[in-house]
Amino acid sequence: MIQRTNWISALKTLPFNELLATTTELSSNWTLRPKSLPQSGLGMLKIKESAFNEKFYLGEFCLSSAWLEVTTPEGLVAEGAAQVMDDRVELAEALALCDAILSAQLPGWEQVSTMVEKGLSLREATRTDRKKMLADTQVDFSLLDDADKGQEHVSN
Amino acid sequence: MLAIDPSWQPEAQQANFRLLLDAMSYPGKYLNLNYVPKDYPIALTILSTLLDAQVSLADPHKLLKDEDWLMLQTKSEHQDNANYILCDASQIPDFTPKLGTLKSPEQSATLILVVDTLGVGELQLKLTGAGIKDHKTLNVTGMNKKWLTMRNEWNCSFPLGVDFILIDKTQIAALPRTTKVEIN
Repeated sequence: MIQRTNWISALKTLPFNELLATTTELSSNWTLRPKSLPQSGLGMLKIKESAFNEKFYLGEFCLSSAWLEVTTPEGLVAEGAAQVMDDRVELAEALALCDAILSAQLPGWEQVSTMVEKGLSLREATRTDRKKMLADTQVDFSLLDDADKGQEHVSN
Repeated sequence: MLAIDPSWQPEAQQANFRLLLDAMSYPGKYLNLNYVPKDYPIALTILSTLLDAQVSLADPHKLLKDEDWLMLQTKSEHQDNANYILCDASQIPDFTPKLGTLKSPEQSATLILVVDTLGVGELQLKLTGAGIKDHKTLNVTGMNKKWLTMRNEWNCSFPLGVDFILIDKTQIAALPRTTKVEIN
C-alpha cells in the first residue's frame, strides 16, 4: 500500500474532472459533514535569506483546505483532510474525501487506490522528463577549464 | 459536494454583520437573525461573523462543542484575556473581562450572553444613552441580574468597559458600554 503522505500529491496529478466524477459517484448516498470550514485563499511563503539570515516573504501562493467526516449508509464513519496549492476548494474537498475513503477502506477504496497508483506513475513520468531536460541542457564547465589551462600554457 | 450550512456562507455573515451594526447603533432594539443554523448552537452564527484567527474567544460555561471550535478556527483564551466571551446569562459571572486601556479602550472584551427569550420576561430593563430617544425598555428571560451589577462596575470608568450582545433563539439585542441600564 502506498504511504498516506503520498496520496494527495499523487491524486492531484490526475485531471480534476476525473477525480470529481469518481468522488461524486462514490459518495452519492453518503453523508458528508465538514469538520472545519473548507477554505481557499492565499498562503504566504516565508523564508530566510542567506546573507543576513533575515526572514522575508518570498510571495503568495494559492491554498485550499478541507477536512470532512464521511458516514456511509452502513454506519461506517471516516475522516479525511487535504491541503493543496490550488484555488479550487472543490478540489480540496474531493481530495479530502479520497483520503477518508482510503484511510478507512470505505466502499470503492480499490478504485481510489488505482487512481493513486496512476497518479504516482504520472508524477514519476513528469519527474523523469524533467530530469532528462535538465541533463540535456547541462553545461560541462570542465571543458572551459581545460581551455583556460591550454591558453595559460601557450602564453608561458 | 460538501453541504455547508448557509449561516457559514459570506452572504449570511455579511447580513449578520449589518445586523450587529444596527444592534450596536440602536441599543435594546430586538433584531431578527436572518440565518439561523440548523445543526449548530445559535450563538455560532454571531461568533462566525465576528471571529477569525486573529482574535480570541473564551467559553467559560462550555456552550460550544469541540467541533464548533474547529469550525470557528479561532484562538481559545481564558475569559480574563479573551476578545470575545460566550456566556450562559442564567449563570453568575465569576470573572473580570478585559476592559481595555485609556490609550486603547477598544482592546476590551465583547460578551455574547445567551438568554432564554428577548422581548418578554420578568426582567425589565430601562435603557438610556446614545442611540436611544428618551428611554427604551428591554425585556429578557433567563438572565441573572448579577450580570447587570457587574456590567455597571466594569463600565464605571468610561471609555473603559465591555459591550454586551444578548442572543436568544432567533433574535439579538445589544447593550454597548455607552448605554445606562436600570432594572425596573
